[in-house]
Amino acid sequence: MIHKSAAASTERVFLPVRKHHDHAQTRHTPAGPACGHRCRIPLLHEGGPMVRHVMRKAAGWLAMIVVATNVTYVLAAWFLDPRSNYRGLRPVRTEQQIDHALTPYNLDPRVPLAVRWWHWFSDVVLHFDWGKSPVGASVNSEIGFRVLVSGQLVTAATLLSVVAGVALSVFTASRQYGWWDRITQLVSVFLFNVPAAVAALAVVFAGIWLNQHLGWRFLYVAGEASPTVSGLWPTVADRFQHLILPTLSLTVLGYVGYHLTQRSLLLDSINSDFVRTARATGLTRAQAIRRHALRASLIPTATSVAFSIPAIFTGAVITETVFGWNGMGQYFVQTIAKNDVHGAVAVAAFGAAMTAIGAVLADVAVVLLDPRVRVS
Amino acid sequence: MTLTTAGMHPPAESAAPAPVLSVRDLSISFPSEAGPVQAVRQVSFDVLPGQTLGIVGESGSGKSATAMGIMGLLPETAHVSGRVLLGGRDLVGLNDRQLSAVRGKGIGMVFQDPLSALTPIFSVGRQLSDALRVHQSLTKQAAWNRAVELLDLVGIPDPHRSARSFPHEFSGGMRQRVVIALAMANSPSVIVADEPTTALDVTVQAQILGVLRTAQAETGAGMVLITHDLGVVAGYADEVAVMYAGRIVEQAGAKELFGRPTMPYTIGLLGAVPRPQARADRPLVPITGEPPSLVKLPAGCSFADRCPAAVDACRTQEPALAAVPGHGQVACLRVGDIADGHLAADSLFPAVADAEEHGGAGSGGEVVLRVAGLAKTFPVTKGALLKRRVGTLHAVGDVSFELQAGQTLGLVGESGSGKTTTLLEIMRLRQPEGGRIEIVGTDVAAQGSPERARELRRAVQIVMQDPSGSLDPRLSVFQLLAEPLQAVGADRETIQARVSELLHLVQLDASVTDRFPSALSGGQRQRVGIARALATEPRIVVLDEPVSALDVSVQASIVNLLTKLQRELGLAYLIVAHDLAVMRHVSDRIAVMYLGHIIETGDTEDLFTNPRHPYTEALLSAIPVPDPQLERSREHIVLEGEQPSASRLPSGCVFVDRCPLYRLLDDGLRQRCRTERPLLGSAGPGSGHRHACHAR
Amino acid sequence: MATTVTPLPEPLDPGAANRALAPRLGSGRLYLRRFARNRGALLGVALFVLLVLFSVFGSLFTRFAYTDADFAALTQPPSATHYFGTNQGGNDVYAEAVHGLQRSLVIAVSVSVLTIVLAAVIGAGAAYFGGRVEKLTLMVIHFLLVVPSFLILALISHHLAGDWRVLILVLTVFGWMSTARVVWSLSTSLRERDYVLAAEFMGVRPWRIVMRHIIPNLGSLLIVNLTLGVVATVLSETALSFLGFGVQTPDVSLGTMLADGSGTITSAPWLFGYPAALVVLLTVSMTLVGDGLRDAFDPTSTSAALRGRR
Repeated sequence: MIHKSAAASTERVFLPVRKHHDHAQTRHTPAGPACGHRCRIPLLHEGGPMVRHVMRKAAGWLAMIVVATNVTYVLAAWFLDPRSNYRGLRPVRTEQQIDHALTPYNLDPRVPLAVRWWHWFSDVVLHFDWGKSPVGASVNSEIGFRVLVSGQLVTAATLLSVVAGVALSVFTASRQYGWWDRITQLVSVFLFNVPAAVAALAVVFAGIWLNQHLGWRFLYVAGEASPTVSGLWPTVADRFQHLILPTLSLTVLGYVGYHLTQRSLLLDSINSDFVRTARATGLTRAQAIRRHALRASLIPTATSVAFSIPAIFTGAVITETVFGWNGMGQYFVQTIAKNDVHGAVAVAAFGAAMTAIGAVLADVAVVLLDPRVRVS
Repeated sequence: MTLTTAGMHPPAESAAPAPVLSVRDLSISFPSEAGPVQAVRQVSFDVLPGQTLGIVGESGSGKSATAMGIMGLLPETAHVSGRVLLGGRDLVGLNDRQLSAVRGKGIGMVFQDPLSALTPIFSVGRQLSDALRVHQSLTKQAAWNRAVELLDLVGIPDPHRSARSFPHEFSGGMRQRVVIALAMANSPSVIVADEPTTALDVTVQAQILGVLRTAQAETGAGMVLITHDLGVVAGYADEVAVMYAGRIVEQAGAKELFGRPTMPYTIGLLGAVPRPQARADRPLVPITGEPPSLVKLPAGCSFADRCPAAVDACRTQEPALAAVPGHGQVACLRVGDIADGHLAADSLFPAVADAEEHGGAGSGGEVVLRVAGLAKTFPVTKGALLKRRVGTLHAVGDVSFELQAGQTLGLVGESGSGKTTTLLEIMRLRQPEGGRIEIVGTDVAAQGSPERARELRRAVQIVMQDPSGSLDPRLSVFQLLAEPLQAVGADRETIQARVSELLHLVQLDASVTDRFPSALSGGQRQRVGIARALATEPRIVVLDEPVSALDVSVQASIVNLLTKLQRELGLAYLIVAHDLAVMRHVSDRIAVMYLGHIIETGDTEDLFTNPRHPYTEALLSAIPVPDPQLERSREHIVLEGEQPSASRLPSGCVFVDRCPLYRLLDDGLRQRCRTERPLLGSAGPGSGHRHACHAR
Repeated sequence: MATTVTPLPEPLDPGAANRALAPRLGSGRLYLRRFARNRGALLGVALFVLLVLFSVFGSLFTRFAYTDADFAALTQPPSATHYFGTNQGGNDVYAEAVHGLQRSLVIAVSVSVLTIVLAAVIGAGAAYFGGRVEKLTLMVIHFLLVVPSFLILALISHHLAGDWRVLILVLTVFGWMSTARVVWSLSTSLRERDYVLAAEFMGVRPWRIVMRHIIPNLGSLLIVNLTLGVVATVLSETALSFLGFGVQTPDVSLGTMLADGSGTITSAPWLFGYPAALVVLLTVSMTLVGDGLRDAFDPTSTSAALRGRR
């Protein structure tokens, strides 16, 4: 946050801050005093309240996905016009013929929206059938492999971004205003300003250049797999070669946020009283930062991971377009261009689910990092 | 307890032991927008083993910067010169790694705010054992065991279990004990305590000072005790240094300094501080003016502008610290005149002739505020997202009092006693959760028409604790003063006229109207706060800790202003303050609160000289007196524990868990204390002095 | 960058410097002085001014309009006649870039202004009024933050066929949440400030308190976010247009130019290079300004407002 509230010790703030510790809920392990260093890792079986806490959160997110998906359905049905897919066809069809052709796919505009929605919704809930495109292709079969393709891209990029961003911030924060700090910050601020498309194309350009100079086509700039490779290990290697550049370009965009925010969070907590106390007990500045400031400052970062997933997903849409990946991102562009209501909704559901998974993992991370959540 | 410390011997009585810490010509400056801030200038002192040097000064005097300079914990931008010799080794100029070998081992430090001084995510046992393992090669187990011992030593109950607790599970006093344990963990030869009790309640302060004594006795360390509280220094320090504008202006033994202050600043400071044992008719004498800016210091003595003894030479030449026979060192050009009695200390700051007798004026006036059976609860919730109610906090249990025009009622109590909640409930002007509030004869629950509601608003106004927090930084003084008038619908001319009237009333120059709060000093800000409260010509002014955010030398002038305004305008004051000495000065009557209940009430003098409730007694006893002889000879009642949370009220007397009297009672009376809540009863027929205790 | 300002030591009478420097004029001049000392920020201002001038007057220096097609010069590299070269359709890239920059600027500035106003009122209002209003607002904000709003943006702007005015509206409607959340969380602490309580006790009306006491005290945050909002909007607009959901032909924005150029990055790099450079110059200049403003307002804070990238 930007403003530090003046910590006036007025009585007003005393309200329910000081919580009584409830023995039944705290559940200290009955081990001896030696547990001091180990007790901080909460094991799932000892933290009944923690599991419940995460479950409650997960249920909330599930509700969020359901609402988000349904809202998208209504919007998509409203804004996309599946009939336009048939208008350009020869022989020219009448509007009625077109509507008739759309009927089996639950896209007939003459049917009231509520009815279409109900068909769609019950199919999703009962059969996990996400419907058909305007030309009759099954959405399920389209998204099956795409989910995996995009899932691995988004997951890898998110993990790499978090790790790279946090590591860089720790490295530079203890050298505040030194050369490394300045250079990495400069680079990050610059990357922060580069549009995803430009970054992706720059990575493509660099990849091509590297391949040419190495004289060996190691990095692939198009597609997610080569069609000709067979065998387990060659396939894995091939996939990996395809994955490098898109992941890199997504990471380049994603790590920046973590680096800059984590750096400032760290610097804020470096100036906090408890780091000063830690230094007063004999830790060097760098030690105090690593042992005391870092973990406390990771807590807000963990929560922000969830909210950054939509951005990563947006980045993935562009990255996949640039790299010609058959993933959810590219599918998303296609579905909107082709007025594919059901396909677009499935993409929205995928995006919301990714966010929710990220959020639940972030919650788990917060619980692990912050004893206050556990104890209270 | 099997705790022995290698270097534990009684403070050497023999010929001058070598100092453990010698500071020589320490100067610290910070770069700033306006130029270098000279926070500390040419400070020198010695700390002997087992002895305590108290450093007193007001905010901005450089005392905390001195502490940080000794520890090497200043921001990297700070410029430090001089020498800090710890056992002969100079610490100035060492790098962070070299200093880290000294911190914690050679010097331990206790910080001001215990609530933020501990890492929230580690158990206190882990923090302690980590601190031990930084300097000693101990196994984890051994360090942990030693940590538990240390917790026991500083008086943490059930140390085995507590070691596994996290800081947020502890109260402020308990956390400060942990911080002290951290400071003494590696038996340092020096302990630096920077305002160790400022953030704590007065009964807890007494405990913490006791713990500091234990720590010092255990380690045999010399101590640097930094505080603004002259009473704390008087009771604790062997030697006292007074700092002003970055320099030590007087340094002497505690007895000598308090007995015969010689630097005019020290004289003024001691005259301005209210004393709990003194009757209210001894007026407080403020030091006029404000401390100078540390950016562009005047050429001569930095106190010259405020000094009644200043001569022309004072403005051109800064006096050096010079030894005064039998007294220590003083930095003043006129030290000779003052020391030999040529210039009587008493005559320097003459009391303003205060014609009217304080207190008597208001009694018998119209009752303007009547509170009966006031109750207020807060839900105690749990869970970050879905808040579940897990209990009820009884912030105010059952509070009744009356306030007459021209009179001052003081609500006294520690944090959590419900005194501020009581004020806020009155200020809301809505029907309270329980009981009734009547303002100038109107029940706030039945205000009726909007005009009547507006009338009520005009009748009650508030002055808040922290003037920098209660004045919107984006508004000019004029806008600030105009706001309450606009809210009651005054027109532009009225507002113009009233604003200049108000400034005159609070003795502010008309030139401040277009300034912003940040360009005002603390005292000026609080004057604006008072002027704003008076804008609508209220009958009742509620004052929430009106002087606690101010320095002692400024505090006195605000107290005097409040007294003057009351006399001139016939205001009724309802004051909340934790500083009982101030309360004795301003209040006609006092009500002592504990856990949301008034446990004793009576006329101020009566209550102070003859407290009846054991809590009142302990509270009064806990206030440190700025007089070393009195402070060291009088009997202290130190309460155990801290005020519990009001979410689990005892069903009997609210004070029963900490009551020192309870232990002395027979079983029948104990049973009564446990089960039956005592009512306020008169000490004698017709007496206004009432208290709620079964045993007395 | 944020690195050139030395932090003031806070515990040492923070008012002293203020009092010495700005006895009367409030803090405005102090802020200006700090800002002017920040070389990065000044560079940002200079860049931004140059870009604005370029977008307004750049068309005076060429005889081509962005809609003109020079069939004699298809896919030509930069030359004396076509400063930035031409594309496959013979359009002058320089003329397109001037127009595209103008388009992107207008969209970015108006969206970020509208967004800030919306976010300030909603965030501060929710925090001040609390209770159900606050709960409901937060639910909506969280919902919109989590929903792939980019997808909904694409849906709507695709439907409305790329009118840039509609784009402004849509980007605003889906752009205010993250700022509103920051405003909300800061306002919740402002709500507890004594001066807000004091105003309540004076009988000041609720909306007046929000407008007079809460929002002005977020001023620095709002101004900083205004500049960073320009960055975020440029990036959003670029992304949408790149995918074909934003500004659409025959209109041109920097995003559509990127999309057109991306296919020929090796054979005709100028088609991609010039708009890419302009976008980056624009966003970098705004970030520099924003950083400088933040440092000027609050030299002790290291916190970046660089959150909520879309």
